Amino acid sequence: MPGDEQFKQEVLRLAGHELLTCIQCGTCSASCPTARLMNPSIRRLIKLCLEGKKEEATHNETLWLCTSCLLCTSRCPRGIRPKAVVSALKDIAERAGLQGKDAAYEKFFLEQIKDYGRIAELALTAKFLLVFPQGAVQSMQMGLELLPRGKIDLKIEKIKGRDEVKKIIEELWKK
Amino acid sequence: MKLAYYPGCVSKSTGKEMDASTRAVSAALGIELVELPDWNCCGATHVSHELVATGLAARNMAQTNLPIMTACSICYSNLRAAAQRLEEPETLEKVNAVLDRKYSSAYSSAKIRHALDVILEALTEGDERIVVPLKELRVAPYYGCLLTRPQGVYSPQFPTILENLIKRLQAVPVDFRLKTFCCGGPIFMPQEKAADDIAFKILAEAKKAGAEVIVTVCPLCHLMLDAKQKVLEQKMGEKIGIPILYVTQLVGIALGLGPEELGLFMNSVSPMAMMERVYARLSE
Repeated sequence: MPGDEQFKQEVLRLAGHELLTCIQCGTCSASCPTARLMNPSIRRLIKLCLEGKKEEATHNETLWLCTSCLLCTSRCPRGIRPKAVVSALKDIAERAGLQGKDAAYEKFFLEQIKDYGRIAELALTAKFLLVFPQGAVQSMQMGLELLPRGKIDLKIEKIKGRDEVKKIIEELWKK
Repeated sequence: MKLAYYPGCVSKSTGKEMDASTRAVSAALGIELVELPDWNCCGATHVSHELVATGLAARNMAQTNLPIMTACSICYSNLRAAAQRLEEPETLEKVNAVLDRKYSSAYSSAKIRHALDVILEALTEGDERIVVPLKELRVAPYYGCLLTRPQGVYSPQFPTILENLIKRLQAVPVDFRLKTFCCGGPIFMPQEKAADDIAFKILAEAKKAGAEVIVTVCPLCHLMLDAKQKVLEQKMGEKIGIPILYVTQLVGIALGLGPEELGLFMNSVSPMAMMERVYARLSE
């Protein structure tokens, strides 16, 4: 089956054309803190993009196991930014309406910035637990640590420049 | 020295002690901080769209002509990455089209500073303000990821600035193999197990290296190693019991600032036993 050329070009546009110079050396995978849980590996993910295999490249757990630590990006001998590839693929998947707990978390995060200009962790967590109730135990454990120490803010702070922030997100998102 | 201060969202919640100790130490060292008037979230590691992330950072940076200091490595990394991208005229044009107050290329990533670097610069060798030298205290320097990435002034793999600061406080930096390894924090909500495994690896490694305390420069690293430490111990069946201090808290202790000012009672793993050892060694 021929690859999806349009998809490949979109990844290149978002993550950089240097992707074409990938030599599949695997330095990215060897550097990744969550590599052992990834399938496909980050190295293979890049190959999938270059082959235009959209479905396999955008529907996998690998994207959501990336911690954004940038070690792959620091080490790539070709100057490729594998983390930017992950971001591009998340972006493409989210635009195509990808559902799931991980995509939901990113969506809620951005919605909060759009609505308040800042993150209110308690409200974010509450919203996330509605789509991923399995996270409740961890959240309770964290709450028990943080609440008595006064480290959970109950009120939501809103910035003055919310309209500007909203415009930044909505306008730049299209580009 | 006068700097613009970008506290970041966690300064209002899980990172209150980071904010408190940053302000206290800055005041003690004569670093004047002017909070950015209407700062917004930098997007942390959750805004995948690079241009949106750049725009969010640019709005913050356009609010001041002063160098900007933050104590959060994530904010620091995002502002620096954005400043780098904004050097491309095409990106600058797109971003400025949506900003009320325009970002100017007169700013550069060199003007984004981490509190760690500002503090080290303010403290001289044998500085008289260090009234509580941290003699013999074995400190694990934990850099995490984003202080040194994308690459700026520090090596992304073998940085030494934390060790330099630890030595300046007369403490002993321990050789810590995982010092630039990720804590797993950015994915801890949706990918709990993956994050727990790597956070615990770091704690176990620091313990093996004989650390009495781990210092962090990032609120997410702090959350994973401190607030989660008890739960991680239970899950993995191994006691760790190492206090995790923000670098600003460690400096504050050496400057003789009070525990209240430094937010030391907000830490999950109490640093009080460690403090007692510090004071005991002082009188030896």
